[in-house]
Order: sequence, then C-alpha cells, then structure tokens
Amino acid sequence: MANFFSTRATKGLLKVGDIYCPKNGDFPSFTEAAGTAYLNNLVANVPADDFSSLNLVLAIFSFLPNGILNWIISAATNSQSNPSDGIIPSTLRQLNIGLRGLCYSIYYSEFTNPNYNGKKPLEVIDFKLNRVVD
Amino acid sequence: MIYDFIVVGSGSGGGSLSYYLNKSGAKVLLIEAGKFYRKDTFPKTEAETSAHLYWGGGIEFGKDGKMGFLRTRMVGGSSIVYQCLMDRFDDIAFNDWRAESGVEWFNNQEMDKHYTQVENDMVLHTFQREEMRRNGILFADACDKLGYKWGFLRRGQSNCGAEKGNDCVGCLGGCFRDSKQSSLVAFIQKAEKEGLEIVAETEIHKVEPNSNTCKIHGLQNGKQVSFEGKKVILAGGAFGTTRMMTMSGFKSKLPALGKNFASHPQFMWLGFQNEPVDAHKGMFQSVASKDPSFRAQGFKLENVFASPISIGMLMNVTGAKHQEYMKKYRYMQCIEVAVRDENIGEIQCDNKGKLTIVKPLSDQDKTRRDKGLQAIENIMMTAGANEIYKSNFYFGLHLMGGCVMGTDASKSVVNPEFQVHGEKTLYIADSSIYPNAPGINPGLTIKSLGHRLATQLLK
Repeated sequence: MANFFSTRATKGLLKVGDIYCPKNGDFPSFTEAAGTAYLNNLVANVPADDFSSLNLVLAIFSFLPNGILNWIISAATNSQSNPSDGIIPSTLRQLNIGLRGLCYSIYYSEFTNPNYNGKKPLEVIDFKLNRVVD
Repeated sequence: MIYDFIVVGSGSGGGSLSYYLNKSGAKVLLIEAGKFYRKDTFPKTEAETSAHLYWGGGIEFGKDGKMGFLRTRMVGGSSIVYQCLMDRFDDIAFNDWRAESGVEWFNNQEMDKHYTQVENDMVLHTFQREEMRRNGILFADACDKLGYKWGFLRRGQSNCGAEKGNDCVGCLGGCFRDSKQSSLVAFIQKAEKEGLEIVAETEIHKVEPNSNTCKIHGLQNGKQVSFEGKKVILAGGAFGTTRMMTMSGFKSKLPALGKNFASHPQFMWLGFQNEPVDAHKGMFQSVASKDPSFRAQGFKLENVFASPISIGMLMNVTGAKHQEYMKKYRYMQCIEVAVRDENIGEIQCDNKGKLTIVKPLSDQDKTRRDKGLQAIENIMMTAGANEIYKSNFYFGLHLMGGCVMGTDASKSVVNPEFQVHGEKTLYIADSSIYPNAPGINPGLTIKSLGHRLATQLLK
C-alpha cells in the first residue's frame, strides 16, 4: 500500500518546514522552495503504521497556531539532549529526527517547487557535485 | 525444485558466500528483500537514496529514540552505500571474540587464507598522499602536531575517476561507475554471469528446517512464495536475520537470539574553517586514526563527510541559525568517532515482525565516546577551526550480533560451523554472528567468513 500525504498533512508540513527553514537572506522559505509533488516519493518505504501516525500529526499541526507549533518544535529539538528514556522524550526525539529529515530532504534537494525561480537552497550553500561517468 | 543452497540476504556475507558456492557448480539461489539496482539505476539524489535504499524510509530508531540505525535494502546490501573500507581484524578483536564465544578458530592464522582469497577477488586501493583532499590534510597535519598516529585507508575501488573531477560522496547512494567493490560489483554480478539465480524484492519471514532440507516462506509482490534448499544460509544482517529467526519460533529454543547487539555508535562533529575545505569534493575519505592508544581506549577516528541533508541532520538547531551553519557547508571539516561498544543491546521482534531495538550506551561506551570526542576537539582546534559544532545525534552503521556464534547453545545461536544449534540444514553467515564489537570496519571479515563457510559447505 503506497503512502500518500493528505492535503491537510501537506499544509502541516509546510508550516513546520517554515519553522525549520524560514525565508532568511538568500535562503527561500520552505513553502517557497519545497516541491511538495515529490513528497509521496520520499515516504514510499516508511512503514504504514509510522506513516499513518506522521500523516495524523502533520494534519493536527496544520490547525495549530504558530506559537504552539513553535513550542512543540522547540520541545522536540531540546529532547535530543534530554537523557530521559521516558516515552515522551523518546517520542519527541523520533519526531524531531523524522520532521527534520523530511523537511531537509525536500529543502536541500533537487526537488524544488517548479514555480519557484529564485536561488535554490543547494545554490545558496554552494553545493555542486560532479558525477563523471566514463 | 530443491536448490543445493539458498542464501537469504545479499550484503557482504550473502554476496561473497553465494559467489563462492556458485563457482563450485552448485545450484544456488540468492534471495534479497530489496530491489535490484545497477550502476545506472541507483537513485541520483541524496533524498531518494535515503528514501529508497534504507529500511524505514531512511532511518530506524532504538526504543529510546536516541540512536539512529541505518540499514539498507537492495541487492548488495550495506556494501552498496558504505565506504568499502577493507580492514583485517587485529589480534585484539579475535582474542576478544574467542574469549566470548569459545570458538578456537577465531584467530588471524586461521582467517588468513579466507582474508587472502577475498582480497584477491576484489580490487583494493590504499590511498596515497597526493590523493588527500583538504579535510584529510587538516586531519593528518593536526594529528602530526598532537602526536596522534594516523594512516591511509585501504578501500575496495577500481576506477573512481577522481582525477577526472568525479566527486565520490555521490557513491554513498550506490557507485554509478561500478568502481566501489560492493558485494554487487565484486561478487554478485560476476556470479550472475556464471548462472547464479537471484530473486529480488522477496522478503522471507519464516524458515522451516528439517533433517534433509530447509523450506523458507515469504512475500513477493504481496503474494506468498516458498522455496526449498538442501541447505539454507541466512545472511540478512543483524536485524534481518534475527527477525527471520524470531518469526520462525527459534526464540524459545535459543534464548540468546536477539541478544549481544552492538553497533559501533558514531558521533560526527563539524569544525568550521576560515577557508573552504570542500570535504565533499573528490575522494572524500582517505585517512583515519591509527593510534594504538586510541585502539586500547576503545575508539577510532575517521575523516568523513556527507551530503547536505545528512550534514543538516547533524545540527540540531532550527531556523536562521541552522541556515547560517549550512551556508558554511564548504567550510566544514568533519571527523567522527566510532566507539567499540559493549554488546549489551537487544533486537526484539514481535510475532508480526515489528522490530524494537534496545541499545543503551553503557558507562564504558560513554567514557570511550568522550575520549574520542576530546581527541576530535583537539584535532579541530589544532587545525584552526573557528567554531566546532558538537552534534549530539549519533547513529549505528555496523549492526552486529543478535545471532552470535559460540560453543554454548544457551549463550549463542550458531555453532562454530555456522549451523543454527540443533539444526542440520540451517546456517547463518552475516554480521549477526559477531560475538561482540571488534572496533574495526566489519565488511572484509563478513566477506571472509562467507568464504570460510563456503569452503566448509563444499567439502
């Protein structure tokens, strides 16, 4: 069964993405740069149960005010240095890596929004990779 | 049809084993859960690499969410995405294996012929000074100043094209030149030409050994499939093989199943230099620590780097602060410490096959980590870093144990002949049989153990 983000979840991801990757100098905002059409391709192999939880969490995020969302992202970020093995910090750590992984995978990639014409994040950081095939 | 041998899993162990078995003229079937990519079909981007080549769609976590595990799924297994560093074990590693397992042939004298054969069947390259890039030079020069011993890496590669401007960091998603000596290149593709039968995208979840043959059952495109071999060898890696064994009901017979898990936890720090380092250009990894005192203290340092998404993940800051760090991507020096960890982890599996990994860091692991990180800080400061990003995210690439080898069936899963205790037709040949963490790149030894088992099975 393929994984597909709901429209609501995609909206939630864009809100979260703008916290991780805001418009800042040459950097575009996540919403400007992200090629959301590629999202489903990037979660094709996420286990169905995990994806279903992610989809739900992102859909809920889409309804939250920015202040509360910022607080949740901050708590998730801080959980990385929390030594506790309890269920809340453990879940927050997984949320932290999962969300950042998804956002950065779109933001620092070739999968940008086709309607965005500005400098892409990979260009801002001056990343070029040569693939020489004989 | 009854095969002479069925090998389940095509990574370092399964790849070499199936090659040597097939070479003898035996009828061999190699089964792999992931897809069959070739040099021209590997994902072309870092994002797709993570999404498509790894179980879990990128990363899996331990139960406490602290440590990430990177586990691949494709023909060739982890050897496709790893750096293919080919190191023999030293006496320290084998002595500790022997002490833990009671297996007498764990020694360099016995293993030499297997190492030699595998080395002869691969193209190996030891880096030279002129191949070093700035990330390596910064590391080596600082080590010299600090009195730390370092050395050039030996890697499986034939023609990386660095002199033509090829950037090898791209091969972390699969080598598109067939230069990296992955199991796919060094063994599987050669065996394929000689008749090895390969079935990809088939996930085995149950093994049924009996006195004459062994049946295996799994899913292929959502449909149940079964195969039968005179002998079945599991080589699905620490997680995969432990999962197959647990789902097949062996936990009640073999209490050590899933135990003794270790993973060489790795911690990467970034040092920011005033001039570009361009650690992602050319041959991006050429040197590592070779300091006997580091070995004695239980860690080693490697001069590594990664593409932007992975580097971004190391830096646990958000927003503008994160972007400012990423803007200095070309100025990053990078070193990681790999800890020789205690094998106190456990791979648990429920009856639906869902894995739970329990992998705390012991006090000894933390002491080793801290000593290694102190050495990294010393190197980066000596190299002139204006800032160090001390990432607290850590991960395991070398997944070992879960089905360890030993003489005592109450403390191990396979006997010194690689046979599952009490079974005549079921064997295991991958990193899951490692009794404890060697503190050395495990790839060459996994391949060599595959050669040893092939030699034994063909007698």
